Amino acid sequence: MPKRLLDFRDATAIAGVGYTPFSKNSGVSTLTLACRAVLAALDDAGLSAADVDGLATHRVGDSAPPTLVGPALGLTGLSWHLDQFGGGSVSHAVVGQAALAVAAGMAETVVCYRAINARSEFRMGGTGRGLPVSPEVQYQAPYGYVAPPQQYAMYARAHMLRYGTTAEHFGALAVTQRANAVKNPRALMRTPITLEDYLASRWIAEPFRLLDCCLETDGACAVVVTTAERARALRRPPVLISAAAWGGGQSHLSGAAGDPTVTAAAELAPRLYAQAGLGPADVDVAEIYDCFTYSVVVQLEDYGFCPKGEGGPYVASGATALDGPLPVNTHGGFLSEGYVHGVNHIAEAVSQLRGEAGDRQVPGAEVALSTAQPGYVLPATSALILRRA
Amino acid sequence: MAGHRPEPDRDSREWWERIARHEFAVQRCAGCGVDRFPARAFCPACRGEEWRWRAVEPEGRVESWIVARQPFVPGVAVPYVVVMVRLSAVPDGLAYGNWRGGREPRAGERVRGVYREEGDVTLVDWEPAG
Repeated sequence: MPKRLLDFRDATAIAGVGYTPFSKNSGVSTLTLACRAVLAALDDAGLSAADVDGLATHRVGDSAPPTLVGPALGLTGLSWHLDQFGGGSVSHAVVGQAALAVAAGMAETVVCYRAINARSEFRMGGTGRGLPVSPEVQYQAPYGYVAPPQQYAMYARAHMLRYGTTAEHFGALAVTQRANAVKNPRALMRTPITLEDYLASRWIAEPFRLLDCCLETDGACAVVVTTAERARALRRPPVLISAAAWGGGQSHLSGAAGDPTVTAAAELAPRLYAQAGLGPADVDVAEIYDCFTYSVVVQLEDYGFCPKGEGGPYVASGATALDGPLPVNTHGGFLSEGYVHGVNHIAEAVSQLRGEAGDRQVPGAEVALSTAQPGYVLPATSALILRRA
Repeated sequence: MAGHRPEPDRDSREWWERIARHEFAVQRCAGCGVDRFPARAFCPACRGEEWRWRAVEPEGRVESWIVARQPFVPGVAVPYVVVMVRLSAVPDGLAYGNWRGGREPRAGERVRGVYREEGDVTLVDWEPAG
């Protein structure tokens, strides 16, 4: 960690969260989705558009940038904004950078949002968007290796071959998260599933079945970042940002990949925990980027909840269930709630720490970890540790 | 299968030209001697910008594979197998290609690249080294 890192532990807070409904076809533009989520988050915090002086988002050319959302909402007093290129790997970096901007005094109230018509327009899991991101795809696309489900399946199999991870391990995670979604009125998929249902679901890219893959979703989600002091005076219980870390790693697309079963999160986790002054044993609830079942398994290892290679048995033991020692993806995650590219994980962590998660509430949750895509598609990742004030 | 055409960039054009001549080449840094793949202008070990092409046998070991069942590429029939190969010549280098084994790959097995003409493009598939 840099010696002169600004100590911003618990200096800022998330004061509000906002959602649009999640659907297969929103019928509206990403700009409209973004504006609705921003306004909903402000309302949740007890703030108005006039209070906003910062906007931030992440996208891959598929959403509304702050330079559109600001004017659309008549926000004329912005002193800070961020429009970060990147998919789910930078979702938590955006909130971290907003926290830094607030801690540094460049803005006082920043709304971080992600709006995406991921089902009806830009399908992240497909190829309709062309082949962007990296010149390295030229070595892959000619062979029909183009989509995230294929890429994650490739790394999942490497993990299976090395550590004996099984389909039943992945299935246990899908079943557990669906059980959480059953208790979440916002979730798109609320029908309980069994391990047999998982094993019977159709192949996408072996070793991945349909129920290994997240739900491409239309929707938007936003969170309000402000100073901890100001948050304490607002409508909702503030949730403190105890740590925010992000950074790069090795490319897993091609080249310089020493071990494909280790993600960039392994390098990031020690910095994150050091910032918060906490460790994995202190985490009460974890909202872990689940673009696929395997992304959770590998992150449970890389964030230190179990030894390397034991993520599969850890999940199958029931450890990640709502009543387990580490409830994971309490809202159902991207696999069952919906896919809003990282931000709905942050918002769920906030709901849990505020004690407002209804039937799926983890009793006494005080510390939450929330993570971004762990660095398989872009060599970068990010994460937050949040704490009840 | 007929998938996407490769889209060479200024760093990789010569690599593809050599593949078209059925020469599998990696880059060797002139400064520190480290071999690298895929093609790029800088050595990630010493940041040197001087290098030469080095023809190597297209050999490696199977690191992983998938069986594509959902047609993500229009016009390409499923199923097909994509294999991830760790190159013998570049320990950190991972190459991808279609599998021509007639059976599923095996973890860690030795494989060799075989050239496939796809229209006016040459691609590299992989088969058991025997």
